[in-house]
Amino acid sequence: MATAKRKKKAPSGTKKPAAAPKRRTTAKAMAASQRDISVSEFFAKNRHLLGFDNPRKALLTTVKEAVDNSLDACEEAGIMPEVWVHIQQMAPDRYKVGIQDNGPGILKKQIPLIFGKLLYGSKFHRLRQSRGQQGIGISAAGMYGVQTTGKPVKIISKVSVRKPAHYYEIQIDTKKNQPKILNGKGDGVDIPPGDKGAKYIEKHGIEWVDQSHGTRVTIELQAKFVRGRGSVGEYLEQTAIANPHVTLHYLDPDDFEYDYLRSANMLPKEPKEIKPHPYGIELGRLATMVEDAEGITLSEFFRTKFSRVTPAISKRICQTAKVSTRINTRKVGRAEVDSLYQAIQQTKISNPSTDCICPIGEDLILKGLHQVVPAEFYTAATRPPAVYRGNPFQIEVGLAYGGTAPTQNVTKELLVELLEETDARTVRQFLIYTFNGLGADSADKIIKAGSLGTRQTPSKLKPADVDKLFTAMKNVNISDGQSMEVLRYANRVPLQFQQAACAVTQTVLGTNWRSYGLGQSRGSLPRGPVSLMVHIASVWVPFTSESKEAIANYPEIQKEIRLGLQAVGRKLGMYLRRRLRVKQQSDRREIFLRYLKEVSTAVSEINGAKQAELYEQLVRVAKRHTADADMKLDDRGRPIEDKPEELNLGNNVLIVDSATHAAAINRVSESEEDEETEE
Amino acid sequence: MAKKRPAVPSRKPKAKLTPRDKKTMARLTGLADRVVSAANARRDPYVDIPSRTLSNIRYSPRKRIIEMGSNKNRRQLFDLSQAKAYMRTVLVASGCKQLLDQGKTTSLRGLYYMLKHTIEGAKENTFDDQGECDTIIEDVEVLLNSIREELHLYAENRGAMVGHITLRDRGDVIDCARMGSGGYAIPSIVEPEIIDLSRKKCDAKFILHVEKGTVWQRFNEDRFWEKHNCILTHGAGQPPRGVRRMLNRLHNELKLPVYCVLDNDPWGYYIYSVLKQGSINLAFESQRMAVPDAKYLGLRSIDFDRCGLSDSVKIALNDNDKKRAKQIAKYPWFEKKRKWQSEIQRMLKNDFKLEVESLISKDISYVTEVYVPERLEERDWLD
Repeated sequence: MATAKRKKKAPSGTKKPAAAPKRRTTAKAMAASQRDISVSEFFAKNRHLLGFDNPRKALLTTVKEAVDNSLDACEEAGIMPEVWVHIQQMAPDRYKVGIQDNGPGILKKQIPLIFGKLLYGSKFHRLRQSRGQQGIGISAAGMYGVQTTGKPVKIISKVSVRKPAHYYEIQIDTKKNQPKILNGKGDGVDIPPGDKGAKYIEKHGIEWVDQSHGTRVTIELQAKFVRGRGSVGEYLEQTAIANPHVTLHYLDPDDFEYDYLRSANMLPKEPKEIKPHPYGIELGRLATMVEDAEGITLSEFFRTKFSRVTPAISKRICQTAKVSTRINTRKVGRAEVDSLYQAIQQTKISNPSTDCICPIGEDLILKGLHQVVPAEFYTAATRPPAVYRGNPFQIEVGLAYGGTAPTQNVTKELLVELLEETDARTVRQFLIYTFNGLGADSADKIIKAGSLGTRQTPSKLKPADVDKLFTAMKNVNISDGQSMEVLRYANRVPLQFQQAACAVTQTVLGTNWRSYGLGQSRGSLPRGPVSLMVHIASVWVPFTSESKEAIANYPEIQKEIRLGLQAVGRKLGMYLRRRLRVKQQSDRREIFLRYLKEVSTAVSEINGAKQAELYEQLVRVAKRHTADADMKLDDRGRPIEDKPEELNLGNNVLIVDSATHAAAINRVSESEEDEETEE
Repeated sequence: MAKKRPAVPSRKPKAKLTPRDKKTMARLTGLADRVVSAANARRDPYVDIPSRTLSNIRYSPRKRIIEMGSNKNRRQLFDLSQAKAYMRTVLVASGCKQLLDQGKTTSLRGLYYMLKHTIEGAKENTFDDQGECDTIIEDVEVLLNSIREELHLYAENRGAMVGHITLRDRGDVIDCARMGSGGYAIPSIVEPEIIDLSRKKCDAKFILHVEKGTVWQRFNEDRFWEKHNCILTHGAGQPPRGVRRMLNRLHNELKLPVYCVLDNDPWGYYIYSVLKQGSINLAFESQRMAVPDAKYLGLRSIDFDRCGLSDSVKIALNDNDKKRAKQIAKYPWFEKKRKWQSEIQRMLKNDFKLEVESLISKDISYVTEVYVPERLEERDWLD
């Protein structure tokens, strides 16, 4: 019936054309609006993919991309890197960021392309361990700056002392993905060396630090400056830890200067470029490679384009795929590629060589951590290289266990001195800036405990208030409720976001830290004043997303991380247990001494013995007893040394007296301190 | 010193020591001298305290009392777990020395306050509660082989007596037949120096000991002691040393038999056991305290049926009770007594316990007018 009805209705439908959906546009009309999308346009609209989600992150990403590029360039050229970072506030939501390095400089014609064209770079096409991977970063930062403020990116680059420096002001043409040079009639300006040039640079609002070679990029962008988690300061501090061969100078918008001086005078080994390993290749990539290979035999193709493929293996692959080894790659069709791909997975191929990986090294991790993180115990472990999906990688773990907080170590005299020399406006600010690692929460706690006003000026504190502040600093336990700080690195670059999604964090959570002497609730980070750094070095770091914020969860990677964590955990456990034992022994002596006076008094009351004499004698016996107790032998029958500092934990451990740690307290400047000591 | 001791003995006039005090004093001085000589010889001072546990007591079938064995626990000053206990031991000894010097006595709590102070240079007290002090006092008693009285210490008065007897308490004549409803409170120290008993002043023929004050009130109100010419005592539960020593003296010096009316539960059995053989904790005093001839009148496990009690008076045994009953059955002084074994088995089989007060459900004065007279008449008791 239904069909009958429709048939009847059909003729009536033709009578009323309005019932059918009307075509809104035609294919021809649509074709008119269909056009190329330039990469720059795409990223301009999708800033978040590159880490420009919000003004706060934009500032960090800009600094990060510039610093990463600088370090890569310096290391490639074999120069000990020194980087200056300067952030200046221009308007409430506008900052000028200047980053300079002492790198090799950039050739004149390359400058606009590097800074003004997205996806232009040297790193994408090769498999080699480096910080940057794609070549989007710095040009995207420039693009963001131009879009939000309209101000061009200013670049000065100098190749040598005698040659003039090149100066460019660049904007990106987002439609064409091409740089647009604004100064010197589209040709840039050459600045002569010497005073004249310096004046010219200053006139253009650039703080060039005079160097024989190097590059300075200045970007003005809409941003928000913050401190603490996810801040520029945090990024630079963490960079200093993982790159002890780098010197960083950082001037923040409040004119606080931070200097991270290099603690190692050796450049890391130059990483080698490797060919891809068959296991790490995807079907599409294989097909492209086959197409690109110009008329060679399949056997030759496998041998030359991949690592670890011997003629025997190449023959085995071809046999499994039922393709002749002598067939020309031009004749290999899509179907054959598919079966070749399957065959690769079934063939046993030895792991890629791992000498292309450059770890930081245990010594340098210790140096880096010691330079930046105030603690009393440091240890590091570098795992042997391993392989995931045909990509070699290496895991390194460093751990710093902090003793007492710097606020508790400070002496009264030093506190008075620090209060005099600080230019912080409030006591709260003074505490946060002066004592490293002291967060706003802890500062508030101290101020509350000392019942001081939040807005009090540090230099105008009355002696009574200084006393109150001092006792509060001694009494407030900062490490109370503190949990482990996890610093994640990929190819020496700190990862600051998406902590929970990262394989590192997940592995740290999955490790049982209780057996190493740290408290840990189920499913949370261990408690205690611990900083942990985990570094993954690889020719291709598997990030979960393009913004490079978290490492993907490969079982091979997780296993290596876990082994690294266990290595440092064991060392920490030994140290903590030893410390506990020493404490117990001193407690024990204390207990005896505490009761001896009571005993001697009571005895002398009964039989009239001389109390003082008896007490002395008993103390002597007690000392002998606890000396015996201190001289406990270890399981090999050797006496254990009394002090934890003398504990032998192997060579990748560093134990320092945390009270005298230089990184714990920020003095206003080195020279001032020197003058004071001279007085 | 953080705190001065309340009394400096050298300044106070010394009381004249009795011969008994002199003996105690010699023992105290001996303890102190050993500390000095050990310190001189650079050795650990220690004391060997006879152990006051079940493993260190022995039942003497001949004397029919519990005696202390020879096991000793060494308490050293230079042992982490014992240092504090050692310090306390010496402290208690010095406290007793002061009491002896001044010829005064004090309560256990008094001594606790005398010795309690904060240890110099620590946030720690010598004693934190009286219990800690009391156990140390018992240690010192066994250590010096001097009983509490000799250390000039006494406990709170507990227990009461009433009946046809007249005694002298520190020279005062006490007629226990004229004590009204409260009775004569049995002091903690009932040694001959303080309480003088005389056969001539006692008309009573036996002693009836009941477990607690409420039952004792019932008997006193019904003038049971008058009708049956006896002495009526109670020990407020587990009888303190004063009550036990009093029973011992009445029994031994006045030749009065002792009968007990206690609850039908493991605790009642144990009270009887303590009265008869002495306690495990104070085994060293059994000789002076135990009454091996004491008899157990009731309540018995068969009384529920025998007296026709109603179900409502039953109290179910809990796990603890059952455990304790089995323990008691295994004590050497109960082990060989078939009547006692069947008594305990019966209670376990009943699976309930009975309090003396349950007899009140029959009639208010059932216990005084029927139950006890019947038992005495029939000479129906457990030994």
